[in-house]
Amino acid sequence: MLQCIFLLSDSGEVLLEKQLTGHRVDRAICDWFWNQILTQGDSLKLVPVISSPTHYLFQVVREGITFLACTQIEMPPLMAIEFLCRVADVLSNYLDGLNEDLIKDNFVIVYELLDEMIDNGFPLTTEPNILREMIAPPNIVSKVLSVVTGNTSNVSNTLPGATASCVPWRKTDLKHATNEVYVDLVEEMDATINRDGNLVKCEIYGEVQVNSNLSGLPDLTLSFANPSVFNDVRFHPCVRLRPWELNQILSFVPPDGQFKLMSYRVKKLKSTPIYVKPQFTSDSGTCRISVLVGIRNDPGKSIDNITVEFRLPPCVTSSDLSPNYGSVNVLADKTCSWTIGRMPKDKAPSMSGTLVLETGMERLHVFPTFQVAFRIMGVALSGLKIDKLDLKNPLSRPHKGFRALTRGGEFQVRS
Amino acid sequence: MLTQFGATAESLSKASTMMFRIGTDAHLYDDPDDVSIAPLLDSKFESEKCEALKRLLALIAQGFDISNYFPQVVKNVATQSLEVKKLVYLYLLHYAEKRPNEALLSINYFQKDLGDPNPLVRAWALRTMAGIRLHAIASLVLVAVGKCARDPSVYVRKCAAIALPKLHDLRLEEHTAAIEEIFVEDMTMPHELITTEYMKSMIAYRLDYNLAFDNLHIFWRIYLSSSESQHIVGMLLKDNSPGVVGAAASAFASICPNNFSLIGRNYKRLCEILPDVEEWGQIVLIGILLRYAIAKHGLVRESLMLSFEDLEIQSQEKDDPESSHLTVRKPFDGASLDICTEIADIVARSYLEGPDKYLARLGHVNQDSLGFDGSCITSATSNDDVKILLQCTSPLLWSYNSAVVLAAAGVHWIMAPKEDIRKIVKPLIFLLRSSGSSKYVVLCNIQVFAKAMPSLFSPYYEDFFISSSDSYRTKTLKLEILSTIATKTSISSIFLEFQDHVRDPDRRFAADTVAAIGLCAQKLPDVSNTCLEALLYLALSESSNNAVALMGEEEILLVQVVKSIMAIIKQDPHSHERVIVHLVRSLDSMSAPAARAMVIWMLGEYCNIGVLTSKMIPTIFKYLAHRFHSESVETKLQIVNACVKVLLRAKVEDISELRLAISYVLELAKYDLNYDVRDRARVLKNFLSHCKGFNYLEEADYRTEFNDLTYVFAEYIFGGTKKVPSESFSYRFYLPGSLSQIVLHAAPGYEPLPEPCSFADDETGHSPTNVHNDHESNEIDDSDDISGSLDEENTSDYSSESVSGEGGDSYIASDSGEDEEAGTLIHLSDDAPDSGDHDRVSVKNTSSGLMDAGELMSKRALESWLNENSDSGQNSSNLSQVQRSLARISIKDIGQLVKPKSYTLLDPTNGNGLSVIYRFSSEVSKVSKELACIHVSFSNHSEEPMCNIFLAEEKPNPSPDSSEKSGSPSESVLVSHDKEATLIPMEEIDRLNPGQPADRVLQVRFEHHLLPLKLVLSCDGRKQQVKLRPDIGYFIKPLPMDIESFLKKESQLPGMFENIRRCTFSEHLNQQNDKDEPPQKDIFLMICEKLALKMLSNANLHLVSVDMPVAANLDDLSGISLRLSGEILNNSVPCLVTLTLKGTCAEPLEVSVKINCEETVFGLNLLNRIVNFLAEPPR
Repeated sequence: MLQCIFLLSDSGEVLLEKQLTGHRVDRAICDWFWNQILTQGDSLKLVPVISSPTHYLFQVVREGITFLACTQIEMPPLMAIEFLCRVADVLSNYLDGLNEDLIKDNFVIVYELLDEMIDNGFPLTTEPNILREMIAPPNIVSKVLSVVTGNTSNVSNTLPGATASCVPWRKTDLKHATNEVYVDLVEEMDATINRDGNLVKCEIYGEVQVNSNLSGLPDLTLSFANPSVFNDVRFHPCVRLRPWELNQILSFVPPDGQFKLMSYRVKKLKSTPIYVKPQFTSDSGTCRISVLVGIRNDPGKSIDNITVEFRLPPCVTSSDLSPNYGSVNVLADKTCSWTIGRMPKDKAPSMSGTLVLETGMERLHVFPTFQVAFRIMGVALSGLKIDKLDLKNPLSRPHKGFRALTRGGEFQVRS
Repeated sequence: MLTQFGATAESLSKASTMMFRIGTDAHLYDDPDDVSIAPLLDSKFESEKCEALKRLLALIAQGFDISNYFPQVVKNVATQSLEVKKLVYLYLLHYAEKRPNEALLSINYFQKDLGDPNPLVRAWALRTMAGIRLHAIASLVLVAVGKCARDPSVYVRKCAAIALPKLHDLRLEEHTAAIEEIFVEDMTMPHELITTEYMKSMIAYRLDYNLAFDNLHIFWRIYLSSSESQHIVGMLLKDNSPGVVGAAASAFASICPNNFSLIGRNYKRLCEILPDVEEWGQIVLIGILLRYAIAKHGLVRESLMLSFEDLEIQSQEKDDPESSHLTVRKPFDGASLDICTEIADIVARSYLEGPDKYLARLGHVNQDSLGFDGSCITSATSNDDVKILLQCTSPLLWSYNSAVVLAAAGVHWIMAPKEDIRKIVKPLIFLLRSSGSSKYVVLCNIQVFAKAMPSLFSPYYEDFFISSSDSYRTKTLKLEILSTIATKTSISSIFLEFQDHVRDPDRRFAADTVAAIGLCAQKLPDVSNTCLEALLYLALSESSNNAVALMGEEEILLVQVVKSIMAIIKQDPHSHERVIVHLVRSLDSMSAPAARAMVIWMLGEYCNIGVLTSKMIPTIFKYLAHRFHSESVETKLQIVNACVKVLLRAKVEDISELRLAISYVLELAKYDLNYDVRDRARVLKNFLSHCKGFNYLEEADYRTEFNDLTYVFAEYIFGGTKKVPSESFSYRFYLPGSLSQIVLHAAPGYEPLPEPCSFADDETGHSPTNVHNDHESNEIDDSDDISGSLDEENTSDYSSESVSGEGGDSYIASDSGEDEEAGTLIHLSDDAPDSGDHDRVSVKNTSSGLMDAGELMSKRALESWLNENSDSGQNSSNLSQVQRSLARISIKDIGQLVKPKSYTLLDPTNGNGLSVIYRFSSEVSKVSKELACIHVSFSNHSEEPMCNIFLAEEKPNPSPDSSEKSGSPSESVLVSHDKEATLIPMEEIDRLNPGQPADRVLQVRFEHHLLPLKLVLSCDGRKQQVKLRPDIGYFIKPLPMDIESFLKKESQLPGMFENIRRCTFSEHLNQQNDKDEPPQKDIFLMICEKLALKMLSNANLHLVSVDMPVAANLDDLSGISLRLSGEILNNSVPCLVTLTLKGTCAEPLEVSVKINCEETVFGLNLLNRIVNFLAEPPR
């Protein structure tokens, strides 16, 4: 089981430590860890399990904050990682984001949360809804109140009733003035286009996100018009698995508020909504680059938030890039990001420029991969359709809403 | 109030600078100690206390030690405000261990809070109370936990379950004091106290709980707490609320992971409740259920784990009609069936035994079949328990929690029939999309699955295509998996991907891709030509690139390309002549020395495979001779080698042409700056005049004297097409989802699967006398009969002798221990012939019965050895002599100092006059190396003769000789049915007359579980349960080695395999006072021998060396070190012990004991034991 959790800032400073068991872990382990990061470079930040001379370390990095957990004995590593992710989720939910200052400003809440979330190295309460009842998130009112009166308590006096119920993810006695439930299909398109311009892989990773504001103990069933498109699925614990196994219907008692009901994957899609065509031509120490972006299959809705990112190879010394639409930004680590925004109606965006190679190098022999991000509102590219959402024990007819959204996920174009 | 106002004003001023930080605790974090905290803590306002506590918390967060505020903080525990309470608890938990006395002040408040109507308050109080880790209140906490385990609130019950491991952990630590006391206690305790109840409790308590037995009172307390906590776990496992069951499962896993009887009772219910248990509990519970199912029912016949056996059966029963049915399944497994079963077999063995043990065994023992007889195999279709486990875990494959998915997949991997394993593939692959961190861990596990069963993943190769956002390690893992699962159909698209990656800016990754291409080409000969073409193109273009801009990064790729080409060519050199020619021609532009070296190697190796190459050779050698001076060492060596190869293979007519160039090269090499090159060249030069009269040969053999011989050697070394040695499986497999699988070594606490069918128990799990027919127990009984007769021979000769020394009193009452002494000396003479030193034997035999003489003898022997050692230095033959004499001493010393080592198995008051005493012996069992020998002495203190005394392992079905009804009461022993040791029973004693003693030898396999062994003693038809308590000092046997190999081995076991503890050794002080020996006697010697005696008489070790500092002060003992070695009985893992002394002879010595052992857990246990007996006061 976990022995200690450290929160580290992106400069390696220990923001806080929470000892979990009697086997105290010295802070020196953080120094060791940071030294390793410094000597081995950032690639170590991506290694989730590290064995140090004294402890095994698990790390999850979120927005510059490193969540570091230590153990000395055998335990499922995924359990530790998943838990750290959960901590990160809960914290960013509580603090409206994650950064060094937010954690320092709210360190008491972080401590209280950690104390509720894990006991003796074993996760105790990780359900966000219950945590919110036990420890009040900081909000403007309480902040102002604390300044004026100097007195505040964010610790609840009573145990949330849900801990005792058979649906531990839901408050027991909820009252909402407006009964409403929204279902969003949020899809991400992962695609890989190889150097020949062929679509190697194209699939959708999607989530069914539900925002439920329903009174009482509602029992919902959600059915899809075409459940056969699903390749794999994963469910929130509230989903009853039996009805799904039998006739692919989601039956559940929802938690209150926003939550991910299920995630799914749809594989082997045939085409992408947009195309990105990079081209490199080398000639005696310089290289001309041109990138074209356009719509391939019109999804019917406008495509916006388009950005194209790539990292110049190390052998490029300088670059001069100019787009005919949007703006290009080259960072110090040679990352270029071309922000296009909404796809223009009249012309196809393109970017061209020259790269100067290292002296002695005739032509470019390594080529960057382009990461493309976009957003299409109102369309689920997987073709998934929600059939209907039924409420079994309605107090009053709720307001139901459906939305769909597709984003670019790991959309990569090799050149 | 004033201070509060000040603080508020200040926070306002800060807030004005940073609007968004208004009302947060930012100022507290930034300047926690800008106001005086102490008065705030004493304030009567909750808000001020709260602020003070927050400041303290900020200081903790920043890593300051603020334990000096402890007394003031503790006072505040009485507060009514929940927030203050929470903050106080946070503080307490952080510092209580440092300030135990003050922490005790808070106990009353906890007790009070435990009665609070608010469940949250109760839960917090319990959590904190259990978390503050004070030994003094452990029993109070236990009571509290017991109470809270029956609490109406689910949350409180859950907290109670989580509090149990805290207590358990505390108890583990408590052991720092000597555990041995219990035995001392045992010998001196009045008879009335030694009841069955006592015996039971004593042995029920496991050694690894590491208890302090200061007195009976403490002992009782601890025994009760241990059984009580297991009892609570059992109760919580039966809880109605899934949340509680999950927490109870985690408590079970850390307190009593092998107490399967607790699971057995609830198995079905636990399976059914599994989907409702919260995610974290599910992870643990799945593991527990899997272990239970294996321990109870064994492996599944249809599962992958037994596919190897399956195949064997298949090959054996070729003409069996059923074999046709088996082969039907073959296409399913794919073309690579033969490979996969081989690995699957290793995987299965590793899961069951742990890879370290398995790999260790591979070294010296022939691979034998997993060795399951029919009884250890079950079937997934017919066994309900297995079926229900698989059923209940399969929906968990859809869980949101990746750890749950992996755990469930692990169960299916191990238990499901091969056809059903498919089910886990999609969920596992879906995990790859979940989060970056878990991706790596999942891939590590998939890699193992894919290796054992490539066909599982081969249809999903696209999912392993590499994304540029993956981390480097993820990329390499994916490459490896892709090359494992590539098939004829998928290789073309995989190959296209690989070609893209070769142009990736990360050259290290590109190089790995090239390696993967090489692997694929070797695996699938169909594509090897395509691969080779691509690689060759790459090599040519790369080398030209290199010529222009040389970077360290670029070299990696080129070297890897050439390496891959080489590997492909090796498979079929004759058809790839053109490739070699191409490579050789591009040699000029290749600058990476390693690549050049490899090309030259190929040139030499394949110089005569075709017309083209042999034509090229003279030109190339001219070129090489020309370039030789500017080559790197690596390349030079290969050039020299190539010279020899070419000469060996060249046709006679070409030789003259070559000769000039080659002799030029050799001449240059002879005066090279590098001595390796010079040496090699010189050897060749030396042979120049010999071989075949016209040429020079050979490189590395210095012994050759004859021309022909050199030629033969040269032929042997350079000539002949050598078979590429098949890759040996050096993979280490650990259970899927475990930490060990990721770090690739057994993390402390890692346990392989339990031995199949090791847990034989019926549903009730309570009545040990229940007659239960089991295949395996019968089989064990059969084998027992055989080995029993073997034992007979060992025991017979001394059982008669021991009569003389046997007194009429009970063993326990006798304080001098004379009769025991006699017994041990006889044991000695029994052992002596093994050592092969006959004079010694005779001396010993004459001295038997005389305790003092015997003792002197042993001293003299040790002394003589010590002198010998100091005189003769490091002579190896002497050392072996030393070892032999030493081994003899160790045996003898155990005989001498046996007094703390005799334990009562049964005392006469309880056994109707039969008294049974046992002690561990250092003998190595003749039956199996895993068995520990135990000498058991029986004596009859009653008036009546006794018949049919027999000691056997407790089994649901009684031993064959006892057809009578069992008479022992079936008490509910909580620790019953733990993993039991196997036993080779002793010979039955037909008749034991009053006052007559008898000795027998028991051979027991403890599996180094430190659980007491439950035995059934039948006497006159009556049966009695007795418990045999293992001693870890005898789970090892001496491993003779010399000091060099000791040091070498020690250096191989650094870091986490090494554990050190310190203790004080004061025995020599008494010795000095007691003995009338002249003080001139070498004090060093005396202490060394005292220490050696102590070690050898308490643990079955081999004394390797005793080192003394040369220039030490006469009085200063610092620096003396003793090295002892042993190997663990059941897996032959070596275990090295080093004692180092510090201090002077007039005062207690500080001994630091160091253990180096691959089995860290065992090592730690042994270390604790050694420290305990060393610190034990002299008797």
